[in-house]
Amino acid sequence: MIEGVPSVLNLTEIAEREKEEFGKRVYEVIKELGAERITFCMQCGACASICPLARVGFEWFNKKLIKALLLGLKEELLDDPTPWACVACNRCTEVCPRDVSPFEVMFAMRRLMVEEFAIPTLAIEALRSLYEHGHAVYMTGREARKKVGLPEKPPSTDSDEKALEDLRKILKETKLASLGLIPME
Amino acid sequence: MKYGLFLGCNIPFNRPDVEVSMREIFPALGIELDDLRGQSCCPTWGTLPSIDVVGWCAVAARNLALGEERGIDLMTACNSCYGSLNEARHKMLTNPEIMEKVNEILAKIGKKYEGRAKCRHVAWVLYKDVGLEKLRESIKFSLEGLTVAVQPGCHFLWPSKVYPDKEEDPFNPKVLREICEALGADAPYYSRLIDCCGMGALRSTDPEKSFKLVKDKLECIKEEIDADLIVTTCSSCLIQLDDAQEQLRKKGEINFSIPVFHLVQIVAICMGFDPSRVAGICVTPRDEVIKKILENEVR
Ligand code: SF4
Ligand code: SF4
Repeated sequence: MIEGVPSVLNLTEIAEREKEEFGKRVYEVIKELGAERITFCMQCGACASICPLARVGFEWFNKKLIKALLLGLKEELLDDPTPWACVACNRCTEVCPRDVSPFEVMFAMRRLMVEEFAIPTLAIEALRSLYEHGHAVYMTGREARKKVGLPEKPPSTDSDEKALEDLRKILKETKLASLGLIPME
Repeated sequence: MKYGLFLGCNIPFNRPDVEVSMREIFPALGIELDDLRGQSCCPTWGTLPSIDVVGWCAVAARNLALGEERGIDLMTACNSCYGSLNEARHKMLTNPEIMEKVNEILAKIGKKYEGRAKCRHVAWVLYKDVGLEKLRESIKFSLEGLTVAVQPGCHFLWPSKVYPDKEEDPFNPKVLREICEALGADAPYYSRLIDCCGMGALRSTDPEKSFKLVKDKLECIKEEIDADLIVTTCSSCLIQLDDAQEQLRKKGEINFSIPVFHLVQIVAICMGFDPSRVAGICVTPRDEVIKKILENEVR
């Protein structure tokens, strides 16, 4: 990326990636996106037995999502909100006897969805706020801080220009920039 | 002993009374705090971890490097920060390729991260560094006669392999119970003790389902141990159990009220700090139980 030039959506890059991925099994992509051990799953169901998402009735909880991905499903899964409801609790990682880390599968699925721009508005808002202030949850209400006797701004990127600039430089080196998910100056 | 006070987002912007609690109790217990000037979001789950593993680790590494430069570890009262920072560190330590890419990025801002600095949790610092003996000696008011429902929260426990401190059995956690007992309370087991509170991504994706989880949990706490208060190690659990409880009451789904505190808040109250500053922000009223605690002066 050239310094000072706003990042734009690099369609060539995405097109090339898609060409490359055409014919690639979806679980291969999922592996590259962080769930390296997905193919070790033996469908024992331990992860599902303990997953809060499965308990309250989300459709594509860990074990089921893994099976679907291993079977090569993708389009059918892109509109489903389940991965975005994953609380990242890692109960599943703790109990998996095959060291699959189902949590990583859920998050690799998020990463795949992001590439297809199937990303919830709230996530976009959080990313925008992270870039703007260095905080994903950013409340404008300074009153609470004042009420308990704290300085209006915490000693974070919120009150340190140089640190915020550093963080933005880092963010510009990530996929957040190459995918063009949020305006970055 | 010195730690970098890692604030995160929820605490400084939503629940700054938790920040005040940390700033009061730790120096009084002999633990020095550094502000880690320039710290940012950890990054939390819905941001970089959902986009790009290397990006996740790079943002985490910048925060961890702020500690490393000062030769200290970080300390947090937010389970999400604890989880995100330590999971990122684990990835960097076990995957040299990720570590290398992260340091290439950090080099652009003149920083590096070698994997030394880690993030500790305030509960573990109280338990191990301060110690229960010293904690017992430092309180002016006790929780005697009160029953606490503990809520350790997911990222206090799992995945145990990434954390610097580990429960003997992460499915039967004892540390928070022992700390509350040291403050004088009863902190019994209840059958939904390790259940998820339903906060975070679950709540923003599907509030109905999220409320079901928190309702089951609260009803269990009420029916099985009839707790006087809930004490948690997590700022997200704090917000959920406090705020969703009020919403459930408004909808007529529950008809009881149990005040909720972060661990550092209840320690601060027991140590005699001003409750309006260390525990002044809540939806479910706390006044009554605070009054009870202040009547329990330790002699
Ligand atoms: S616990 Fe592991 S092996 Fe068992 S179904 Fe889940 S991911 Fe597969
Ligand atoms: S990390 Fe996600 S998939 Fe795993 S148990 Fe928790 S909510 Fe379920």
